[in-house]
Amino acid sequence: MSANYAHPEVLVSTDWVEKNRSNTKSIRIVESDEDLLLYHTGHIPEAVKIDWVNDLNDPVIRDYVNPQKFAELCERYGISNDTTVVFYGDKNNWWACYAFWVFKLMGHEKCLILNGGRKKWEAEKRPMSEATPSYPRGKYTPPRKADYSIRAFRDEVLGHMASKRPMIDVRSPQEFSGERTHMAEYPQEGVLRGGHIPGAKNVPWARAVNDDGTFKTREDLESIYQGECGLKTKDDVVAYCRIGERSSHTWFVLKYLLGFEKVRNYDGSWTEWGNSVGLPIEKDYNPAPISGVPAQKKEVCV
Amino acid sequence: MNTQLRDIIDTFQSVDPQTRMELLLDYSKKLPPLPERLHAARDAGLGRVHECQTAVFLFIERESSDASRDGLIRIHVDVAEEAPTVRGFVSLLVRALEGASPQDVRDVPNDLVHQLGLNDLLRMNREVGLSAVLSRIKTEAMRGS
Repeated sequence: MSANYAHPEVLVSTDWVEKNRSNTKSIRIVESDEDLLLYHTGHIPEAVKIDWVNDLNDPVIRDYVNPQKFAELCERYGISNDTTVVFYGDKNNWWACYAFWVFKLMGHEKCLILNGGRKKWEAEKRPMSEATPSYPRGKYTPPRKADYSIRAFRDEVLGHMASKRPMIDVRSPQEFSGERTHMAEYPQEGVLRGGHIPGAKNVPWARAVNDDGTFKTREDLESIYQGECGLKTKDDVVAYCRIGERSSHTWFVLKYLLGFEKVRNYDGSWTEWGNSVGLPIEKDYNPAPISGVPAQKKEVCV
Repeated sequence: MNTQLRDIIDTFQSVDPQTRMELLLDYSKKLPPLPERLHAARDAGLGRVHECQTAVFLFIERESSDASRDGLIRIHVDVAEEAPTVRGFVSLLVRALEGASPQDVRDVPNDLVHQLGLNDLLRMNREVGLSAVLSRIKTEAMRGS
């Protein structure tokens, strides 16, 4: 079904998981959701839950857990260095791709994504359980250091922008234009400025999936990323969103389904960029000014 | 603050995070369904809380026909099954504010998510959606009161 993707081996079908799920010695199924409680309402019977906030993020500084903590996490869930980890989750595998990316950042070799995620598994009325399984402790040697070839930091993105290399902003068009950071009377999401990194192109992440939660075909994906955005597989591409979760989905699509050679996820994303002092911002949304000065159509503020 | 809400906060504060999560899951299972008379409004997109990544539809009504309960608030909510965290929080609010006066609603602390001890579990990104629901309930309850 996914044979013509650049790396079809990273995707497995619901049928495959159904057939292989009992092989808990070498396979660990991991559910990663946006919703904290969703796993507990029912999940693939053999699946463990890895939570992006409580398991993958460092509790104090804005970063991921360090290699030692990551190894402990894996051991707790019965994952060893050679275990095949199959990720799936809610919201079209949004968080599953994020967990996949963090596992890759930590150098875990065998990572797979269940194509269609939780949505497809549920729609096909496959077995679900509320009971949390437990497995014998894994044996995990922590990586010496994280693999930063798939992660971009702020200053690197600044250089990336200056050299006019491609960037994909995967947020909604309203976030991209700068129209939306918050609304009257409502709390905002902790970003002081709206807009996007100059030069970035806007492709909302969910354009890469079908209604049933599976990834679009290679041809459809190519028409979006290579066609509309003009990207080439040899390009050095940075993807970002608000905190780096939605963009890990696009990172997965570009790297594994389309075979881009160098794609990095900028996990600092808009919550870092839009809050940093003095960084350039491009803003398309310019409401009528209060002072009577006519609004400009497009504004780049450096 | 009304006593129902005070009791709920006390309960949440007296237990460990794991139990707090289980309490919230229990609440999520007890959210009453949206009355059928509001289905058309929901389907037309009314009442949507846009800050939530999940589809949340919120309708606030006042019981004014019965003179003895004049002005009391009724909250009706529709939250997707696949968002049990939001469902749990909303269900807790619906229960705590059952038959509450507009003043009771106004008195709900804005930092309720913190007072329930959920912020450590949720952190900011998830907390925002819940606070937006609370903010909307308070705004609508104050309207015309």
